[in-house]
Amino acid sequence: MRLAREDLFWRIEPLLSMVERPSRYLNHEWGAVEEQPGPFHVCVMYPDVYDVGLPNLGLAILYDELNRLDGISCERAYLPWIDMSALMRERNIPLLSLESSSPVASFDIVGITLAHELVCTNIVEVLDLSGITLRADERDEDEPFVVAGGPSVWNAEPVAPMFDAMLLGDGEHALALISECVRDGRAQGLARVDILRRLAKLPGVYVPSLYDVVVDQTSTRWGYAVPKEGESVPEVVYKHCIEHLSDTEPVAQRIVPYLTVVQDRLTVEVLRGCARGCRFCQAGMTYRPVRERPKDQIIEAVNRGLQTSGYDECCLSSLSTTDHSQCADVLHELYAELGEKGVRVSIPSQRLDSFGVDMASAARSSRKTGLTFAPEAGSQRLRDVINKNVTDQNMDEAARNAFENGYRRMKLYFMMGLPTETDEDLRGIARMAERVAQIGREVCGPRSRVTVSISVAVFVPKCQTPFQWEGQLPLEETHRRQHVMLEAATDRAVRISYHDAETSLIEGVLSKMGRTGFDLVLAAWKNGCRFDAWTDQFDFDRWNDAARGIGLDLEDIACERFDLDARLPWDHVSPGVSKGFLQREWRRAVDEQTTKDCTMNSCTGCGVCQTLRVSNDLAGERQ
Amino acid sequence: MSTLDPHACRLRVRYKKDGRLAHLGHLEVMGTVMRSVRRAGLPFEVSNGFARRMRIQFCQALPVGASSVAEYFDLLMPEPVNADEALDELRRCTPPSLAPLEAALLPRRLPALEAWADRTQWDVLLDGGVDKQQFIDGLEAALARGTLEFMRGDKPRKLDLVSTLVSCDASASEEGLRLVLQTRATERGSLRPAVLVRSVAGCEPSYVCRMGQWHENPDGTLLSPL
Repeated sequence: MRLAREDLFWRIEPLLSMVERPSRYLNHEWGAVEEQPGPFHVCVMYPDVYDVGLPNLGLAILYDELNRLDGISCERAYLPWIDMSALMRERNIPLLSLESSSPVASFDIVGITLAHELVCTNIVEVLDLSGITLRADERDEDEPFVVAGGPSVWNAEPVAPMFDAMLLGDGEHALALISECVRDGRAQGLARVDILRRLAKLPGVYVPSLYDVVVDQTSTRWGYAVPKEGESVPEVVYKHCIEHLSDTEPVAQRIVPYLTVVQDRLTVEVLRGCARGCRFCQAGMTYRPVRERPKDQIIEAVNRGLQTSGYDECCLSSLSTTDHSQCADVLHELYAELGEKGVRVSIPSQRLDSFGVDMASAARSSRKTGLTFAPEAGSQRLRDVINKNVTDQNMDEAARNAFENGYRRMKLYFMMGLPTETDEDLRGIARMAERVAQIGREVCGPRSRVTVSISVAVFVPKCQTPFQWEGQLPLEETHRRQHVMLEAATDRAVRISYHDAETSLIEGVLSKMGRTGFDLVLAAWKNGCRFDAWTDQFDFDRWNDAARGIGLDLEDIACERFDLDARLPWDHVSPGVSKGFLQREWRRAVDEQTTKDCTMNSCTGCGVCQTLRVSNDLAGERQ
Repeated sequence: MSTLDPHACRLRVRYKKDGRLAHLGHLEVMGTVMRSVRRAGLPFEVSNGFARRMRIQFCQALPVGASSVAEYFDLLMPEPVNADEALDELRRCTPPSLAPLEAALLPRRLPALEAWADRTQWDVLLDGGVDKQQFIDGLEAALARGTLEFMRGDKPRKLDLVSTLVSCDASASEEGLRLVLQTRATERGSLRPAVLVRSVAGCEPSYVCRMGQWHENPDGTLLSPL
């Protein structure tokens, strides 16, 4: 049922003194758009607490863009923490937006970010707390249209029944088109299903209810989606893709929070897409092609953003900032301008070579705390399998350069459970970490307190990657391999930490399943699962119980390998990278053959440019 | 020619905290003020330490949920500025519920504001059900005991009530029982109105506002921060 649009802040205000971090619920932050005249109202939502959701750049882009449009207003909402949601339920208060404190269920469109697989139960929680009918096909005519977007839409089938539409790819212009389509359809008195049909004709928009799931001998047990009989919708929905990042507003993030949020700084997106071709990386496949923002636009944006926000730190964000063709010039220029003002410039990831270290030094200058690299695998053989085009020599040179530049701490990210991995590859992780520690002692002296921390994640096969057919490690085997690595590391300067195997297993389950996965998500939520990405909230037993209750075995699902020719649950949505390319990359992985980066070499034939009629858009020559 | 005193490089600002933003914590207020200073484009000194930070000092933390019309911060500047112009710029760049109200240039070398401002006046409201005489009787009994015992989180605390509570005027109003408290911060602690009300009346105040802060001279006279 659509709720009335009214300011209900008075109902949550008495609760503020009873909850942790009341500033999550206040609104009125600097830069928030408080005037929300509408008459068409959109609410964009991150399905986690404010402190995690506010820094999300995707939502900031949509918020900024929609609020510039005449007749459309955009507000925000986040999932209240468990203390607040318990009080709200007790007092029958629905989930409210921040700006106008109106019920989320009073909006015309509710847009929800699928940030990662582990937010699935939070989405159920959001809809339940809002009072929006859970299943899209059971919603009343006047209820909000619930739309998904974000990095995890590529296999969103396990949550698809909750969404009226899903936006694939770049959000710029697309949510505006969706809003206009719903607004015009409502104004014309169209039935909900007819508005959905119109939405399905927009670029990058997938409407799950217009597709049936078929299970047959060509598919996995999760089936594949085909247009419902009589529905004129595309068999494959390709993502919406902007051609030039430079055509978009570089300072999208205008809201300055009161409380400390997870990334408490100005973020300027300097490039989108990455063509390095790491075979495990979903973002690398789904954000192609590479589009760089030119240097002058970045400098202007950073200065303007810092001035209007008051932040003392700026992050140059992207999947691989040090790959930007003008990275060195940007960093040197920014440091010259901002260093004396106590403003820090940070880059989220370092390229694993000396250039990466130089850039990190240029960005941080006086704060030489530690550097983070991601070799991902401990042996050259396995790095070739995953197409991580770095060598032991790159690692050694980067480490030496970093220690010579004054760094004393190094953090290395690895994955375990990668396809073809052996115990020897795992021992290679420990060997690499010890070699880096040894280089540190050579450069800094034997008594220097050099530390090398290694963080080892469990590999989760993600859809739309060359490893999408692969199975995940069973829990027992994961624990055994963790033990192998632990035993191999003897240097006291090396510290090892692991990702939780159970959490990764759930991630793997939700990455693999088709639409029937919604039964599991719903059962888990009914079992009390929410905030699954929070270590202190995640409860594997509840997930296990939920799965058993509906006749599923979690390990069996996550560890299943798919046939290379099988029709997959996500074949009907595409980022433009062809399935043929992914299959070829899988075969090359098995053969330990690497594939080059097309921004520095010739085309690798992934299919994005031809399919989406776009191309890499670089601001200069890459080095 | 500039008439600014070249030694007056400390900009002291009085600001308020009210409305929804009364629910901000002290660190959140500090962060917001620092960002407002940067937005206003005011010159400020930067520390030379490991992390280079703005040189700014704040007064004692206001409890979460409490309002105020007498919060202060001192911004250390490389050179003096026109205080009225600085105030205008700050107003333009600060959320209205934390609006700066007054500003003045002071000598650079002064004691830290947090320790210096040791006297506070509070306006406190207890709505419904708390009888004035009962409260006064309870307060007198507490004063006779000399100390307040209370829990902060899960830790038991003790506070010398005689030295930290200077006076308490109670009056009945339409909204409830209104208290005007004068408190003193000592080396051993300072009295929070909610702690006093909880101990004496067994309830939470519905409204707390810091009305003023001063420095208490040895002779008992009060010195205004501005």
